[in-house]
Amino acid sequence: MDDTALPHSTALHPAVPAPRLWRPKAKTGLVSWLTTVDHKRIGIMYGLFALFFLLVGGLEAILIRTQLAVPNNTLLTAHEYNMLFTMHGTTMIFLAVMPLSSALFNFIMPLQIGARDVAFPRLNAFSLWAFVAGAIILNIGWFLKAGAPAGGWFGYSPLTSREFNPGSPIDLWVMGLQILGVASVAASLNFIVTIINMRAPGLKMMRLPVFTWMTLVTSFLIVLSFPAITIALVELMMDRLFGTNFFNVAKGGMPILWQHLFWVFGHPEVYILILPAMGVVSEIIPTFSRKPLFGYPVVVFSGVFIGFIGFGVWSHHMFTTGLGTMATAAFALSTMIISVPTGVKIFNWIGTMWNGHLRMKAPMLFALAFIWMFMIGGFSGVMHSAAPADAQQHDSYFVIAHFHYVLIGGSLFSLLAAIVYWFPLIFGKITSDRWGKIAFWVIFVGFNTTFFPMHFLGLDGMPRRTFTYDTNMGWNTPNLISSIGAYMLAIGIAIYMSHLIYAYFKGPKAPRDPWDARTLEWSLAAPIPEYNYAVIPTVHDRDTWWYEKQHKEEIARERKAHASEEAAHGGIHMPFPSYYPFLACVGLLVGGLGVAAVPFGHKLVVAIIGLVIALIGIYLWALEGNEGYHLHPSKEELES
Amino acid sequence: MTSHSSTHAAGDDSHSEPGRVKLFVIIALILGIITALEIGVLFMPVIDPVRIAMLVVFSIVKFALVIFIFMHLKWDRLFCTLLFLMGLSLASGTVTILIHVFKVKDSVPLTSHASITAPAQLDAVSRTA
Amino acid sequence: MSNHSTAVTADPHLDPTTSTGIPNKKLLLWAFLASDCMFFGCLISTHLIYRLHPAPDNIDPTKVFNLWLTSGSTFVLLMSSLMMALAVNFIQKGRIVAMRWALAITIFFGLIFLGCQFYEFHNFVYEHGMTITGSIFGTTFFTLTGTHGIHVLIGVIWLTSMLIYSFSDRFSKADAIDIESMGLYWHFVDIVWIVIFTVVYLLEFVR
Repeated sequence: MDDTALPHSTALHPAVPAPRLWRPKAKTGLVSWLTTVDHKRIGIMYGLFALFFLLVGGLEAILIRTQLAVPNNTLLTAHEYNMLFTMHGTTMIFLAVMPLSSALFNFIMPLQIGARDVAFPRLNAFSLWAFVAGAIILNIGWFLKAGAPAGGWFGYSPLTSREFNPGSPIDLWVMGLQILGVASVAASLNFIVTIINMRAPGLKMMRLPVFTWMTLVTSFLIVLSFPAITIALVELMMDRLFGTNFFNVAKGGMPILWQHLFWVFGHPEVYILILPAMGVVSEIIPTFSRKPLFGYPVVVFSGVFIGFIGFGVWSHHMFTTGLGTMATAAFALSTMIISVPTGVKIFNWIGTMWNGHLRMKAPMLFALAFIWMFMIGGFSGVMHSAAPADAQQHDSYFVIAHFHYVLIGGSLFSLLAAIVYWFPLIFGKITSDRWGKIAFWVIFVGFNTTFFPMHFLGLDGMPRRTFTYDTNMGWNTPNLISSIGAYMLAIGIAIYMSHLIYAYFKGPKAPRDPWDARTLEWSLAAPIPEYNYAVIPTVHDRDTWWYEKQHKEEIARERKAHASEEAAHGGIHMPFPSYYPFLACVGLLVGGLGVAAVPFGHKLVVAIIGLVIALIGIYLWALEGNEGYHLHPSKEELES
Repeated sequence: MTSHSSTHAAGDDSHSEPGRVKLFVIIALILGIITALEIGVLFMPVIDPVRIAMLVVFSIVKFALVIFIFMHLKWDRLFCTLLFLMGLSLASGTVTILIHVFKVKDSVPLTSHASITAPAQLDAVSRTA
Repeated sequence: MSNHSTAVTADPHLDPTTSTGIPNKKLLLWAFLASDCMFFGCLISTHLIYRLHPAPDNIDPTKVFNLWLTSGSTFVLLMSSLMMALAVNFIQKGRIVAMRWALAITIFFGLIFLGCQFYEFHNFVYEHGMTITGSIFGTTFFTLTGTHGIHVLIGVIWLTSMLIYSFSDRFSKADAIDIESMGLYWHFVDIVWIVIFTVVYLLEFVR
């Protein structure tokens, strides 16, 4: 972010000046990153944290697979194994895939709608740092004597009650998830307002790029599903801290209630993980097929429909708990229904490629693999919807195979595609297509080698969450193959990461629009100035940038008119960076650790200190106001 | 806020200040009266289903009066109403489904009052679910 | 966008007309309230599920509830909603002094409600021996109404902060959107209580 426009900037002088609050001045360096409110920088930080945790979660997975490679292995103890699978699941879902989607929402979505930032830039910074605070609380157990959480990513009651899990790890898990929930909800509220209210002129809802549409649907899912787990976690925390009876059977509590509340959140969460991926694929496939997306409205409405029905299927995670015939039948039915719009989307992607001029670049390979792998995961998913079959598959490796096919083969493949696809725009460098393809093939083969045998392991009866198995169960060979595949997958990810790092430092400079793409963000040349668009674009078509490329003269005339209009209004308004969202999150971190990790007797004191810090942050944040300064882009910038 | 004028341009009646204030006071009075009626219902000599229905209707009326008048939904863009009703309907749906799932015989815990005092009632419960 | 002075508001770039015409803050609040519906929905579900299957040692709620106290505090909360609606109306007309009075009365009513709740809890614990740990009914009742009480408390703190801020010379009619957003939150706390009053209190006396 070099600020070529800065010399032209003028500070804004409101009639009554704001009180003299401490305002960050730095434009580069650490403080500038900690205090930034620029959605692009926030997006990059989300992405870096997410990739870091992807590697952490991957390391945990490698340890798990090493332990299971041979029967009766003693590499890990049962408790260590419990910690690893708990943290692997929690990390991958909340600290890798969700923030990676969030990174793309932050960076790409405002560009796609022709906005200069999100609606509430400081709230956006708060979301990022709250996410980091939650991530620290979740993972800090590794460095404490009591160890990391070991109750499974679902934290089923009564496993998590103080009676069976007396130490701090579960408290860390609860507070970590609680704060991550705050972060996700704050970010999603921000995205909802941004997409609905800050679209460029002419950008009607039915012209939004599909990725932005899926950002919107995902944000609604987050906003409406996270309260369920918030309540569940509050109840669990009350049980653990104050001895209430929510899940205490002795006093009439029902542990099954936890499962319901958890999956009321947990199933929409599955769609929170996959819908952004579908959005990404709906961008990549048209670009590399050089055709508009086939059946745009159907793709959009399928996404909305999936989001809505996603709230009515949660009990299919609980078929074996004895819901009664009626509920089982109803949830089986709704689960079968939800596979229909998903199937529709797959036909749309195939229809987009039909008769297209396909270009098999690395992002396209990942996107195609997404369709195929996600379909395999979908097929086993439909199998689960049949309750009698599910009773056999429940808690077996078959389920593991299923959800890794949708989470890695689905979400992760598409996110890896997205990173390569948008890399030239984000970092201004071109990645090596050759090494991208090599990484793809190693990841693809490694992934299938790891997870395909698990289908058979599951059908052969190998249960989930067992830290080892006996020699005579007939599970030896598939487990060994699977572990070899896991190492291959790790090598693939290593190649992938290396080719990104190499491109960042040594790669050739990216031209504008390297893929000959279709959506608005590609009209910008990297590095993108902090105000994104020197002139707010006017949208004439669904594939805005494609239209602009075909109607250059018309667009140039229009831009000129708009530029002089904006200059007359006083230039581009930019918000000041701020310390206070970061400060508020420091308060969250201290408070969260106070509740979770500090021994009884001191909890209250530390929690109150955290609360006070957070309150100070929030009050100063409110008092400093959203004042900013004005930028006047130079003539070259206006014409670029 | 510049957009304010446009937001309220949709308002039809009671745009003048005394009109709006008067309306708010009347609504508050109605809310107070309904609350008194709700207490009255508890002492009415009618069968329980009728009383339950009345209480539910009263509560919905109060709810609607507050969101449409006090919270300005009546004068705001329709989108605000839809946004809120989406959350409200999902929440009500979730509450309804959860309660029905827990009404089923299999869900009644062995420690509960019902299964200890009157096991026969359970069949009735599961039939109604 | 709390602190627009008039000079800044005249600048269209500080407050660009939004795509829908709904101010950003209002939209944020409505989306948040939609989310909060799920929040209280799950909490109320928990309470109702445990009312469906009461443990044998549960207290009979009709013996501990003080109907007159609760309906009184319900009335007070409804009236505070009226004052809040008036405060929003006043600031939109630029009548800052009238708005201050309306806000002050809203806060006063909010405090009365909290006082009633404190008295009620105190009464339940010390007169009836109903504690949050003693029975499942105590657990769900205190958690549900307590969570609502915390919402009221946050509202009172927000209102008080805004009342104090309204004496600053930075405060103007342009801040009406902040008062209005705060009002939406306050009314929401009120409608949650309307539901709790019926579901948790009144329906107990019917069955």
